[in-house]
Amino acid sequence: MIVLTSLRALVRRRSRTLLALGGIAVSAALLLNMTMLASGLTSSFGELTRAQGYALRVTPLGTLPFDSEAGIGDAAATEAAIEAVRGVAAVAPVLGAQLYAVAGGSVGEPVFASGIDPDEQMLYLLVSGSDPRPDEVVASEPMAEAFDLEVGDSILLAAELDVALGAPRDVVSFRISGIADFIYNYAGERSVALELSRLQVMTNRPDEVSLFAVAATPGIDEDSLATRITAATTDLSVYSTRELMAAMDQRLAYFRQLSTILGTIALAVATLLVGTIVTLGVRERFGEIATLRAIGVRASRVRLAIVVEGFALTAAGSAIGLPLGLWISGRLDRILLSFPGIPERVSFFVMEPLPAALALFTMTAIGALVGILPASRALRAPLGAMLREEAD
Amino acid sequence: MPGRPSGRVFDPGGIPSRAAPRLHAEAHDAGLHVRGVALYKEYHGAGTGGGVTALRGVDLEVKAGEWVAIVGPSGCGKSTLLNVLAGIDLPSSGVVELLGFDQARLSEAERARLRLTRVGFVFQRFHLLPVLTAGENVELPMAEAGLSRRERQDRVRELLSFVGLEHRIGHRPAQLSGGEQQRVAIARALANRPEVVFADEPTGELDRGTGAGILDLLGTLNAEGTTLLTVTHDAEVAVRASRVIEMSDGSIVRPSGAEP
Repeated sequence: MIVLTSLRALVRRRSRTLLALGGIAVSAALLLNMTMLASGLTSSFGELTRAQGYALRVTPLGTLPFDSEAGIGDAAATEAAIEAVRGVAAVAPVLGAQLYAVAGGSVGEPVFASGIDPDEQMLYLLVSGSDPRPDEVVASEPMAEAFDLEVGDSILLAAELDVALGAPRDVVSFRISGIADFIYNYAGERSVALELSRLQVMTNRPDEVSLFAVAATPGIDEDSLATRITAATTDLSVYSTRELMAAMDQRLAYFRQLSTILGTIALAVATLLVGTIVTLGVRERFGEIATLRAIGVRASRVRLAIVVEGFALTAAGSAIGLPLGLWISGRLDRILLSFPGIPERVSFFVMEPLPAALALFTMTAIGALVGILPASRALRAPLGAMLREEAD
Repeated sequence: MPGRPSGRVFDPGGIPSRAAPRLHAEAHDAGLHVRGVALYKEYHGAGTGGGVTALRGVDLEVKAGEWVAIVGPSGCGKSTLLNVLAGIDLPSSGVVELLGFDQARLSEAERARLRLTRVGFVFQRFHLLPVLTAGENVELPMAEAGLSRRERQDRVRELLSFVGLEHRIGHRPAQLSGGEQQRVAIARALANRPEVVFADEPTGELDRGTGAGILDLLGTLNAEGTTLLTVTHDAEVAVRASRVIEMSDGSIVRPSGAEP
């Protein structure tokens, strides 16, 4: 019943309570966003890396996947060496290159091309059609849309532009074997995938790949497998998903710093807000608190009532802040993902239940704790003086 | 005259065991409910200059079943004496025994427990909690004393019936008149069947007619055996009280038993 008095006091001061709830909800939403941002990109990147079951990457020494123009030479032998390592289930070679698409009056639109092994690939998910065979390509959905392509149509691709003539050189005609969702592409990216050997010839990079994606046999520890592949190859970097995420995390340290600073500010704002509201409420109810003490209600019970007030405010504010935060993160994600070069399937804000729950719990706990100070002040004040003050 | 409950509202032997304080009363005269010996109270703080002496060596005894009215001009120390005797304030020096318990030897929690379970309070400005209904205001001390919900609800109806406000059980204080609020405050004071009720200007905020009704209620309580200590400016209270103590400048100038 003593707790009921506090909750009803919040309802009695409806306007103030609603304003406070609004402020706490915004703070909670910001805190949630910062928690989601702190590890979101890394975690999302990790999920993307594991897509299609290829959890390891083998790249030129000292680089991350598609980090530079560097390539792995002697690719066939290297692939064979990797396949021979115990625990390797499949190896998917990838060669990245820029081609030029010729259509209508266009002299050559840049298109990102990936040379793959159609039987072992992890770059795309077919939407229609089939994997590419000789003289065939799979086009990304934005590519098909831009060039009005359907399965069975033809497209002209060139590896080089003749600067003097302003026209593509050595144009080759390819049949569209399929339209696909390229999982590492950024929004609207035009790309194609074709047989590795064909792209090697077109780009004059014989027996070269940009990276190998490696799938591990189920039950095999990825880090141990990465170590074994490193031992079996030379001058290559081998990353498990965990290592890739760690590398990503290191590169995105500023995201964590930003989210830590903004999250701390959100917590501080919520603390000040709840502290102010509860302190004002306690001051206004000094007479009621004096009455409770006078009729014999224990100090601990009065303190509980005041602490519950702060707790209720922050809990309700956090409950409102949760959907608000999710909505804001969706909007922010859309804005950030429109930056060029960021894979469409990556998310900057990832809702991870434990950190999110911890953040909102921390906010609620702080909201409850800030009530202790005004409560202690009200309980330390001389009771007789409080009653006299109320009577005056 | 408000409706009367069946049986006595105050039952000295009827304090629920769960509500009784876990204290060890010192051996005392069971017929003596309140005792103050050589009570001094000084206030120090901002605006008091060198300090204010509110009580100057007050000696007072109140026997079980008495109705003692403390009268005197404003600022003479009446309310301070009431607060000190009730255990709300501690004296600067002197001894206060309430129901046999030396207040100085009890912790704050023990004094609170004693007030909750064996003492009732009626304030000039009623001091009802505005967010609770009349029924809930009466129920609160019982809930804090640990009575079951069923016991509480029965007792709330009994007490509100006693003060003539059973039909107002669900009304908030703001929906009640001053007289009705004071009746609810009296019902709250009686919630845990107190042996002593302290009332500070119980009619101070009420018109004469309404005040007379409140005094009727207090008279009924006293007639049933509840010890009453009342601070008042109201001459009518002094007429009804079994004993009047007049104070001036922190001292008792017309002691117990003297004719008014």
